[in-house]
Amino acid sequence: MLDNLALGFATATTASNLLYCFVGTFLGTFIGVLPGLGPLAAVAMLLPVSFYLPPETALVMLAGVYYGAEYGGSIASILLNIPGTPSSSITCIDGYPMARQGRAGVALLITALASFFGGIFGILVIAGLAPVLAEFALLLQPADYFAVMLLGLVAASVVSNSGTMRGVMMVCLGVLLGTIGVDVNSGVTRFTGGVQDLRDGVGLVVVAMGLFGVSEAMMSARGATPSYATEKVSWRRFLPETDEWLRTLAPALRGSLVGSFFGTLPGTGQTVASSIGYALEKRISKNRAQFGKGAIEGIVVPESANNAAAQTAFIPTLTLGIPGSTTMALMIGALMIHGVTPGPRLITEHPDLFWGLIVSFLFGNLFLLVLNIPLIGIWVKLLQIPHYFLYPVVVVLISIGVYSIDHSILDVWTMLAFGLLGYVLRLYRFEPAPLLIGFILGPMMEEYLRRAMLLSRGDPMVFFERPGSAILIGISAVLLVLTALPRRKRKVTPNEEATETP
Amino acid sequence: MPAATRLTIAILAAGLALGASAASAADYPERPVRILVSFPPGGSSDLVARLLAEKLSSELGQQFVVENKPGAAGTVAATELKNADNDGYTLMLSNLTPFSVAPTRFPDTPYDPVADFSHIAYIGAVHLGMFAAPSLETPDMAAFVEQAKAEPGTIDYGSSGVGSWGHVFAVAFENEADVELSHIPYKGSGPMRLDFRAGVIPVMFDAVPQNLPNVEEGVAIPLAVSSPERLASLPDTPTFTELGYDIVAENWLGISGPAGIDGKVIGTLQGAIASALKSDDVVAQFDTWGIVREDMTSDAFTDYVASSAKSWEPRVKQATD
Repeated sequence: MLDNLALGFATATTASNLLYCFVGTFLGTFIGVLPGLGPLAAVAMLLPVSFYLPPETALVMLAGVYYGAEYGGSIASILLNIPGTPSSSITCIDGYPMARQGRAGVALLITALASFFGGIFGILVIAGLAPVLAEFALLLQPADYFAVMLLGLVAASVVSNSGTMRGVMMVCLGVLLGTIGVDVNSGVTRFTGGVQDLRDGVGLVVVAMGLFGVSEAMMSARGATPSYATEKVSWRRFLPETDEWLRTLAPALRGSLVGSFFGTLPGTGQTVASSIGYALEKRISKNRAQFGKGAIEGIVVPESANNAAAQTAFIPTLTLGIPGSTTMALMIGALMIHGVTPGPRLITEHPDLFWGLIVSFLFGNLFLLVLNIPLIGIWVKLLQIPHYFLYPVVVVLISIGVYSIDHSILDVWTMLAFGLLGYVLRLYRFEPAPLLIGFILGPMMEEYLRRAMLLSRGDPMVFFERPGSAILIGISAVLLVLTALPRRKRKVTPNEEATETP
Repeated sequence: MPAATRLTIAILAAGLALGASAASAADYPERPVRILVSFPPGGSSDLVARLLAEKLSSELGQQFVVENKPGAAGTVAATELKNADNDGYTLMLSNLTPFSVAPTRFPDTPYDPVADFSHIAYIGAVHLGMFAAPSLETPDMAAFVEQAKAEPGTIDYGSSGVGSWGHVFAVAFENEADVELSHIPYKGSGPMRLDFRAGVIPVMFDAVPQNLPNVEEGVAIPLAVSSPERLASLPDTPTFTELGYDIVAENWLGISGPAGIDGKVIGTLQGAIASALKSDDVVAQFDTWGIVREDMTSDAFTDYVASSAKSWEPRVKQATD
């Protein structure tokens, strides 16, 4: 492994690779900050540039764009309650309250550090375990994936601050909205109203930007968004208090572990990682009463989780040649145009490319940290722009971002409709985050459920015979029961609580 | 068509096109040209469009811009193409799904694959393979068919979706070979290949190029390919026709525009595409991607699209009814 890392260092530290790594993370952060433009848009925009670069440089740059955008996405979540990327929607839950309490600087600094921590953790996981983890993805069958999705959905309903019942309702609404489009198993179109463009369902970014972005702008127009506590831009104010430092270490580690695990499963990715990480933390944290009101752990966990997942997502992509997400499909495209086919032989046939990329992650994460800490002051100043100037600009940016995905004007209208829905839901104290997670996971869960049933010829025992799925279904059940129990019953000492949870 | 004739036609076409482009160079193209692609960015077809766009841009001195309009089995892009101005500034990377499969699969498809378009140039095609896992212990088609007949309905196969070409082809194969298999549909080829490797499904019908690494590694055994002749990339694998099953299928790619594009413009484009397809880097890329190139005149390509739609119609009906 040391030889490999040495080779990686030799590849990653050439002047041009370092430069493109920096350029990638820099552009990625900026595109990620813009609401509506996420890693997918960022990578797609820069894909043509990569055609003119050698394959390892191209990949180093695009990867930088990708995890840079993933990082940048959390900035808008904290400042504006608008997730720059769907996977940072969880960060809104605690990040935005912190910003409103005048602690945006602290939140951004912690985000930068948690992302760095998660990123580095993910890199170590790849460097040490890539071949093993690739095989691990092959051990899972549809029944196991179903159980993972189920756990994600249960976790999502638990993240809600407005009560489990409301959380479950939002998850269900999300699942229902996710059924729009052609059914995978029968090929029948569902709930499209005969609209051709809806055959593939409603886009994730369309829903996310409508529910969070547009509705946030409407709330601010209504005057419902309380003004931010004024914040002096000074470095001392950006530093968390001493006990907060100590409180973040264990959550960062847990978040990174959860993130590294889910990143390696093709198709689940960062959003699942951050929502499950958050839900678990909310169960076991001593500080759980603060969750949703600006708990520092509430941003540390999802940020370390989604950045760890962003790194480990490269494992199935590169070692199996199977993209876990559309963004990863673009990475494969970038390699294919250079005649490199990702697959089990990639590590042995192109060791310089593989290890060079991994070492470049290390530099990329360092660049992100160095790049972003000085910028915190600028981001915080952004909040001093009056809402009536800021939000119209944000809505325009979101509209452009949504339009740019499929060049579809219908998407923009759909997003506005979801904005209205989000606004009405918020008026009645329903939260958009569980809805979004239901919308993401619901269709996947249905797909795996029905595939598992198809393969077992209709025998539901398949979910309990496989140890993986049986354990995960058990955890989901326990989590749901625990949450449904009356609050008073849980008045035990914090230590006991931490051990009783699964 | 023998190769020599094909080559002659290609040279003639290229020559004619060069003449035409000289005559109309003043008018077309005067501004950037859009190429609609019915896939999201990053897939092999998208890469074909981008590579071609780059070549056409340098050849014709105007930017050819790829615009991804994925959705509804490619019919979103094809509908937009039909409604675009027929001045040659909106083109599309036409392919099997929206033009040969969708009109039958979705009866409300708002266009006719032949009458509503100008089919300008054929580019090439990718073929389908039937792959078995080694665990099935069927080293060739004869053994597979024997086993499938012995245990009807027990062997699962994957395709990249209901009504996808893999599914449609598999149903046609079931009829030809008189076997009964169980269909497990996926959302695209990626997740299916993962499950195939994981041993969830023992058989899949999928495009050949992305499965070559699996074949090399020995985790996928190619039983047959859907091309008319054996493929250079899998020289030892028989075709379905060779084995006595009368089914051929190719996922073709071409460049098309809205109906009624001026003949001169078509000539210009055809010439530029023909010469782009001959350039060394395009040849090399197409070979690594497993795309079998072929030159066709606009008329021949139009006939090809018509016959492709016709031959897929009964198959699609059979698979999705």
